Amino acid sequence: MLENIFVSSLNWLKNLMAAVELPAPLADMLILVIKLAAILGFILINALWLVYMERKVSAFIQGRIGPNRVGPFGLLQTTMDVLKLISKEIIIPAAADKKLFLLAPLMIFVPPLAIFAIVPFGKGMAAIDLNLGVYYFVAMASLSTVIIWMAGWSSNNKYALLGGMRVVAQMVSYEMPLILSMIGVIILTGTLNMNGIIQAQEKVWFIFLQPVAATIYLIAALAETNRTPFDLVEGESEIISGPFTEYSGMGFAFFFLAEYANVLLVSVMATTLFFGGWLAPFGWTFLPSWFWFIFKVYIMVFIFMWVRWTFPRIRVDQLMGFAWKVLVPLAIANIFLTGLGKYLFLS
Amino acid sequence: MAVRQEEFVLNMGPQHPSTHGVFRIVLTLDGETVVKADPVPGYLHRGIEKLAEARTYTQVIPYTDRLDYLASMLMNWGYVQAVEKLMGIEVPLRAEYIRVIVGELARIASHLVATGAMASDLGGLTGFLYTFRDREEILDLFEMVCGSRLTASYMRIGGVAKDLPEGFVPKAKEFLKKFTLSLAEYNGLITGNEIFQRRTKNVGILSAEKAVDMSLSGPVLRASGVGHDLRKVRPYSIYPQFEFEVPLRTNGDCFDRYYLRVLEMAESVKIIEQALASLPEGPVMAKIPRIIKPPAGEVYTEIESSKGIMGVYIVSDGSPKPYRVHFRRPSFINLGYLAEMVRGWKVADVVAILGSLDIVLGEVDC
Amino acid sequence: MFGKGLLKGMKITMVRFFKPKETVQYPEVRLPLPDRFLGKPEFYYDKCIACNQCVAACPNNVITLKTETVEKKKIVTQYYFDQQYCLFCGLCAEACPKDALKFTKDFELTQYKRQDIKLKFVNPEQVAKKKAEVLQAALEKQAAQEKQAAQEKQASADKQIASEKQAAGNEAAAGVC
Repeated sequence: MLENIFVSSLNWLKNLMAAVELPAPLADMLILVIKLAAILGFILINALWLVYMERKVSAFIQGRIGPNRVGPFGLLQTTMDVLKLISKEIIIPAAADKKLFLLAPLMIFVPPLAIFAIVPFGKGMAAIDLNLGVYYFVAMASLSTVIIWMAGWSSNNKYALLGGMRVVAQMVSYEMPLILSMIGVIILTGTLNMNGIIQAQEKVWFIFLQPVAATIYLIAALAETNRTPFDLVEGESEIISGPFTEYSGMGFAFFFLAEYANVLLVSVMATTLFFGGWLAPFGWTFLPSWFWFIFKVYIMVFIFMWVRWTFPRIRVDQLMGFAWKVLVPLAIANIFLTGLGKYLFLS
Repeated sequence: MAVRQEEFVLNMGPQHPSTHGVFRIVLTLDGETVVKADPVPGYLHRGIEKLAEARTYTQVIPYTDRLDYLASMLMNWGYVQAVEKLMGIEVPLRAEYIRVIVGELARIASHLVATGAMASDLGGLTGFLYTFRDREEILDLFEMVCGSRLTASYMRIGGVAKDLPEGFVPKAKEFLKKFTLSLAEYNGLITGNEIFQRRTKNVGILSAEKAVDMSLSGPVLRASGVGHDLRKVRPYSIYPQFEFEVPLRTNGDCFDRYYLRVLEMAESVKIIEQALASLPEGPVMAKIPRIIKPPAGEVYTEIESSKGIMGVYIVSDGSPKPYRVHFRRPSFINLGYLAEMVRGWKVADVVAILGSLDIVLGEVDC
Repeated sequence: MFGKGLLKGMKITMVRFFKPKETVQYPEVRLPLPDRFLGKPEFYYDKCIACNQCVAACPNNVITLKTETVEKKKIVTQYYFDQQYCLFCGLCAEACPKDALKFTKDFELTQYKRQDIKLKFVNPEQVAKKKAEVLQAALEKQAAQEKQAAQEKQASADKQIASEKQAAGNEAAAGVC
């Protein structure tokens, strides 16, 4: 019952549409729009909740209480923050490239939304079951680089420019180990479909088969989402707020929420690739598959936050050196070993 | 199409999260690398030296609080010591002990800010909150003693304002016990962190010769391997009675400047423990005239403040107000090599180097 | 080497995560303040002897004191404490010989109106009362003095009379001789 609550409600909708004799193409489109709207809602609610969670986690780590005034346990704090930001004026610097400056915050939510469309939230719960899922993820995820760079360039601010340059350098460097670490998994499964990858982990999660790849993925994912120790793009104590320096009001809020959408995204991917996705651990199937999926994702998110509030920031050249001199060779070695292992044991 | 390359000027500060106040550096950058740095202090200038000329000798004390506001006790001490020397006042023994206790507590408090700010400058905000958590307890102790947390105005010419309150000694002892554990925590979280070490080791190296040439002092000098601590080499007050060591590091990089402060805090704990154990009874104020009127003449004294050598130069014309007061502020002089130190490093290193110098703008701009 | 320090830091923060928190929920919960706390100043009108020492002690000319001489006695008619310039150094309270100026534990000094920042300690009734007291005391003293003077006068007059009498007697005696 609980297991299929989302799938069956969607089926009920489909049946309803068939009953009122809606033309098939229109019905399909409507279903897709509903699915995407649900995903957008999921992202937004999660981003709001993650901001709150981040503040609570950081507070607890630092011996504080964190937000506790607005709503029960301060739960409405971020909602109120966003409401406040909406009501604020959007200031556009006189020398800014107006079109790009306004376009960047609008675009920033596109890549996460596009990627979430293919994420299997539970058994048979992907909005679009894409055969090239992982490939699509990689392609889409790298798009956000351009958008952040757009923000940094159009602001016409020196700190923003530095941040924009950093984002290009950083994302391009860390895309490499991120993709290479995924290849290990893909060799094992032989599929790019996310559901297929999850089902391949029925017996054993890939974190145990691919520990090196998992570690590389987690490090690269931290860099992809611009979080400490790789938060050079924002680099609060160095370049104020990087590309987002000149943004105010909702423009800033969009970037802020998009960061959390991205955190969610890489956690979702980590769960899918290495932690068995929606598969229940130890065969505990009494809880629905989507619960396990969200649960695992949140554990990943917590680890990201824990890391963020423990480590200082790495330097630009060290960041590059680490990516190209340590992570990439390791990832390539991992691919080689995986291929060798597969050849020896599975054929 | 030819690619045109040019350097650009980045105005860092006076409003910047990690210039420790309203300090401004005009950086000429080649990409991320600093080609030229041009420090511009002076945004917090209040003319304290001039103000002092229109105040009586006692009235200057609250103004010294506003020099290095992170270690106001030490600033008080430096000033009153100069006036005492000018007037030839003998300070009672108990007052000297109290001065050492609160002075070393202020040193710890100041170093805690330096340690935490260094961590937060490098992006690890948690370390900052941990050090401030412990600094809070020192401020509580100050509040007990003099009623203020930051701007103490506790010392007076000829002694201290009031005797230690009841319950101070046990509370201080309790704090010291807890603080030793906290030091281990900082070492675990900040010092031992590999990213932190990567960011600070071999960054912004200052050689011993250069440091001496520019008359730098305090932890900045001692991190370069010059063991010059006034408490040892030219002891004042009752420091010869205590057993402590002057920590020394030899590399002169950001990490050494940072770690030296952590080591110094441990030594300060030792001094306070000894002082608390052998605190004598007696008066806390010497017999001084009601109106302080030093004889005409001039005097220069120095103490070792948390940032370095804090010197006070007073010229008296025999009136109740000083004719001229000059403060040798260690933070200001320690900034002397900043332009040269940051050249060739990245923007992120500028922040680290500035953080490791531990400047307080109240003191730099005076 | 690489990674050990990172893990140690992670352990420290995780331990902290579950430890009790340091935050004090300020408006509801307040930390106890020590007795020597330098908060909002308080002035005890009756103790003040208008010696002006607090005015002289203040490094920032925060205190303005206006006096009036009633019957050769100084009375404080106005005592302004311009709080916005106060350094809270406590030198004024220290200078006061009668403990008429004290710093309370009230640290919430924010005001809605600018003119409320300047503290006016003395109200007219107090001055009037004090004046009346001083006048009364002066009157009483005068009365007492007059009384005494009268007594003295009486006494001296009596004495004079007596001496005159004596002198007259003496003269008479001399005349007799």
